[in-house]
Amino acid sequence: MRVSLEWLSDYINLEVDVDELAELLTDSGTEVEGIERMGLNSEGLSVGWVAKVRPHPNADRLSLCEVDVGGSLFEVVCGAPNLEAGIAAPFAPPGSFLPDGTHIKEVDIRGVTSQGMLLSGIELGITGDTEGLLLLDLPERENADLEEALGLPDTVLVLEITPNRPDCLSVIGMAREIAALTGCELRMPPVELRESREDASGVVEIEIWDTDLCSRYTARIIDALEIKGSPWWIRRRLQACGVRPISNVVDITNYVMLELGQPLHAFDYDMVSDHHIIVRRADEGDTLTTLDGVKRDLGPENLLICDTSGPIALAGVMGGERTEVGDGTRKVLLESAHFDAANIMRTSRSHELSSEASYRFERGVDPNGCVYAADRASFLIQKLAAGKVLGRAMDVVGRAVEPVALEFRVHRAGRLIGVALDSGKAGDLLGSIQLDVQGVREEKAEEILNVRVPTFRPDLEREIDLVEEIARLYGYRNIPPTLPKTSHNMGGLTREQSIRRSIKRVMNGLGLYEAVTYSFISPRWLDVLDPDGEVFPRDIYKLRNPISEEMSAMRLTLLPGLLEVLRFNLNRRNLDVFVFEMGRVFEPLRDDKLPHESISLAAAMMGLWSPKQWSEESEKVDFFTMKGVLEGLFSSLHASEFSLSRERFPFLHPAWSCRLEAGGEDCGYLGLIHPRVAEAVELPPETALMEIGLESLLNAAPELLAYEEIPRFPAAVMDIAVVVREEVDEGEVLCLIKDAGGDLLREARLFDLYRGEQVGEGEKSLAYSLTFYALDRTLKDEEAKASYDNIVEKLSGTLGARIRS
Amino acid sequence: MTGEDILKEIESDHDLGPVYRLARRQLAEVNSVEALKDLRIAILGRKGRLSTLLQGIGKLPPEERRRVGRLWNQLKAHLEAAIDEKIDRIRYRDMEDTLRGQAVDITLPGKDMRRGSLHIVSQVVEEIEDIFIGMGYRVVEGPEVELDYYNFEALNTPEWHPSKTLQDTFYVDNPYGTYQDVLLRTHTSPVQVRAMEITSPPLYVIAPGKAFRRDVPDATHSVMMHQVEGLAVDDDITLGDLKGTLEYFARRMFGEEREVRFRPHFFPFTEPSAEVDVSCHMCSGSGCRVCKGTGWLEILGSGIVDPNVFGYVGYDPEKVSGFAFGMGVERIAMLKYGIPDIRFLFDNDIRLLRQF
Repeated sequence: MRVSLEWLSDYINLEVDVDELAELLTDSGTEVEGIERMGLNSEGLSVGWVAKVRPHPNADRLSLCEVDVGGSLFEVVCGAPNLEAGIAAPFAPPGSFLPDGTHIKEVDIRGVTSQGMLLSGIELGITGDTEGLLLLDLPERENADLEEALGLPDTVLVLEITPNRPDCLSVIGMAREIAALTGCELRMPPVELRESREDASGVVEIEIWDTDLCSRYTARIIDALEIKGSPWWIRRRLQACGVRPISNVVDITNYVMLELGQPLHAFDYDMVSDHHIIVRRADEGDTLTTLDGVKRDLGPENLLICDTSGPIALAGVMGGERTEVGDGTRKVLLESAHFDAANIMRTSRSHELSSEASYRFERGVDPNGCVYAADRASFLIQKLAAGKVLGRAMDVVGRAVEPVALEFRVHRAGRLIGVALDSGKAGDLLGSIQLDVQGVREEKAEEILNVRVPTFRPDLEREIDLVEEIARLYGYRNIPPTLPKTSHNMGGLTREQSIRRSIKRVMNGLGLYEAVTYSFISPRWLDVLDPDGEVFPRDIYKLRNPISEEMSAMRLTLLPGLLEVLRFNLNRRNLDVFVFEMGRVFEPLRDDKLPHESISLAAAMMGLWSPKQWSEESEKVDFFTMKGVLEGLFSSLHASEFSLSRERFPFLHPAWSCRLEAGGEDCGYLGLIHPRVAEAVELPPETALMEIGLESLLNAAPELLAYEEIPRFPAAVMDIAVVVREEVDEGEVLCLIKDAGGDLLREARLFDLYRGEQVGEGEKSLAYSLTFYALDRTLKDEEAKASYDNIVEKLSGTLGARIRS
Repeated sequence: MTGEDILKEIESDHDLGPVYRLARRQLAEVNSVEALKDLRIAILGRKGRLSTLLQGIGKLPPEERRRVGRLWNQLKAHLEAAIDEKIDRIRYRDMEDTLRGQAVDITLPGKDMRRGSLHIVSQVVEEIEDIFIGMGYRVVEGPEVELDYYNFEALNTPEWHPSKTLQDTFYVDNPYGTYQDVLLRTHTSPVQVRAMEITSPPLYVIAPGKAFRRDVPDATHSVMMHQVEGLAVDDDITLGDLKGTLEYFARRMFGEEREVRFRPHFFPFTEPSAEVDVSCHMCSGSGCRVCKGTGWLEILGSGIVDPNVFGYVGYDPEKVSGFAFGMGVERIAMLKYGIPDIRFLFDNDIRLLRQF
């Protein structure tokens, strides 16, 4: 909200400077988001009094006038429609500069020299008005300062008003707050009504049918008025608060709303059928064309102001076109009413129509402020639009709202805040914001204040609300910082949380970067990855109101997010990318509202695993790079071994597609991207992928590690080269070697794979380094040899393998 | 007797003295391993000068023989060590000369070692977690797809509150049933409600995780962000405790010299509530681009837990009190490291990932 200090000074004497004020407000809960200083950025301008006006000798639409500036006279050519003798307007004499930088000189206009220029609001750069000269509303002909005459310089505070403080959405509300903070006196705006003898009760009838949504409806009738532009001071204050001036009556309703926080609406009295107001819920089929020209379909959730022929306003939000105040209006019905906050909010939201009025009503307006606001506006209309105010405000109370009475425990409040508080101090603080502290009583070492809360503070409903007021008025900065006096807290991570951290660190150590992607994906991904629905069901959680199709389905796998990361990087010419993600995936459950959320770990790699270096050849990412990552991960976690089995996953290359098992359970997949998918998302075909359920990893990791004895006696190391048919898996050979090697074979490591002249067509040679040792003795050569021979025998017997020597 | 005294005694000995002095002189003069080996034979060899002396010593009277014999042994050991040491010295010198002669370009790049890193969001989450773990907090987690009850209702958010609308909150359709109350959590506070449901006070927890808001994405808004929310419930928790705790946190996170400011604010689930600002670490409070000229950075929302919230989980607000706080991880990362656009964090551009 925007508040003009010039306007504020009508109600309080500001004895602090702007920066101090801003700090006081921010420290008490009204954050000052900006301070705008408004002034004329010009040079040499002054107030000019138009002494005489006569026609221009050579031009019909121009006039010549004599402008008096503190006794100096200037002859000026002017074409403004509102030029007349006796007015005062901003004047730019020769030699002065306008805010836009224009240098004013004597110029010849149709044969007459113009010594300067009378100015409009646009030329001054302070209003958008196009109605000719900006008329200054000065009491008497004096040598006034132009900036002062314009209500400048002024400072506007841009405030963030929290939703619990609707009372601050007005100049008087902020004045009340500042009065409490600075201890100065608050002056309420004057109402000096001269009511005519005619009584309003004879000319209007008001009924509230739905008192749950409208607790009070007050109306004033003002007759014989003259619709015209508002005086400058009203327009300027409206503009300072960000409201566009229209015409006097409408401006005054806005002005009083900004001043007091009570939204008002003026109906053209003569357009209100039978002069009969009915406040009711809309019937199905009711329509209303609001002031913005939109025809709106209404329903029972909307509250309406109606006359005997139908709706005339969307209550608390916007008036209707039929009863709009216009140039021809002579008599108005001024509405000052109280509407239900939640209902106005719903109506405003469902019609996507928000106004200064709805903004205030949906936060909460003082239910007992209607009459004062109606009278204040009537007074201004009487003063500025020559209106005759009919006797009596028509005040219909549908449901009386009384001030709330609260009990406030002083010491408890002090304990909650962490300061020593007594009833005197608490009473003073609560009194400063105009709460009515009606007495104190003592009970069991506690002091209890009885507090009546005026209805302009709808947010204060409970004792804790008063504690908050005490805390903010006491000043947060005055509360000493302490730490909880406890011995109950023992912090830390759970085992799972620690292992998750370890896994991420291990993945980093293995050369992968962590990525974080969105929990929702485009559902089209499922068709790309799994066109026949073999692994990913299509019954998944979808957002009802996504911001785009791209982010509309809760992920079942981390794969799409990582493929998008690769894609994004490839588009930016980052060709070598190794990333992993650990995050939640969402599996629908038939008998639960919420999905089963589990944590998944996935990795994706593309490009050169190691670049061409001066000392090394480059190495591309392939299946075995990813397998190595997985092996590194399992061994770093000291997890039991995993195993891979050939299994087709629709998004993996059929030859390079594996199911991952650990601890006897299926837990994921590993492979190269399917060329079909690679083509669809434009990724290189050697992209390697892996995903594993975190739970399986946790199960595979031991809770506790046990010491394993280190051999003290020397090991015997022997190499063996095994020639097998091409279709025999290395894993099978290794498995046989380990079985046949017995207890003494401690390690068997493949160090070479050879195909070529040395072996037959359709054969390959696998070379292993075998390590034998015993923990209790140095092995005799015969012992290792026996084990070795057994290996040779089993290999040739089972696989028909030959041993190369 | 020290080694020096013994050598003096040897030097003054009638028989050993001349041999020692000669050996010392020769040892100083020779400068090659070969010459030293010759010298060793000449002095210590079977027919060397020292061995020859033994015969003379045999003829001495027993008392004198023992004394000189001891000196002889000491001289032998001394000369052996001196020759060995000089041989080593010369060998190392020669080796040094050869090695120094080898031409090596040490400016060539080292071998490429792969390294990865944690996403900046994870790093900041861990940093925040560790600060609070140090103060005795546990880390609790909960679902990203949540029920209205935990996300709004049990946090004292009125039924008509604007944040609950389809404009602000993502609602989720369960494929097997029609429910209106399933949504993506808009903060991680529901985890605290779940924690209170299963734990009786005292309770000190933080809840890190993803949260989702239906914001139009721009430099400071994203439909997904990470939060860390905290909750302390105990016998006599005060607003002062909240201040002390968060001041400590803010200084650990942003620097010991930071000033911390508490401003009254409004949240549905706390009362009194406070927003917490820390003096800008870029300009130390004088005003810059990062703090938009204010000198302050808003980093946290917090407050005393509203008694209504305790009502939902069966805690007695007359017996316990608590404070809660919440912060946006991306915002803190952006402020701390000067990252200009929140969307950069979820692009996962490898060039950005490598920076942290």
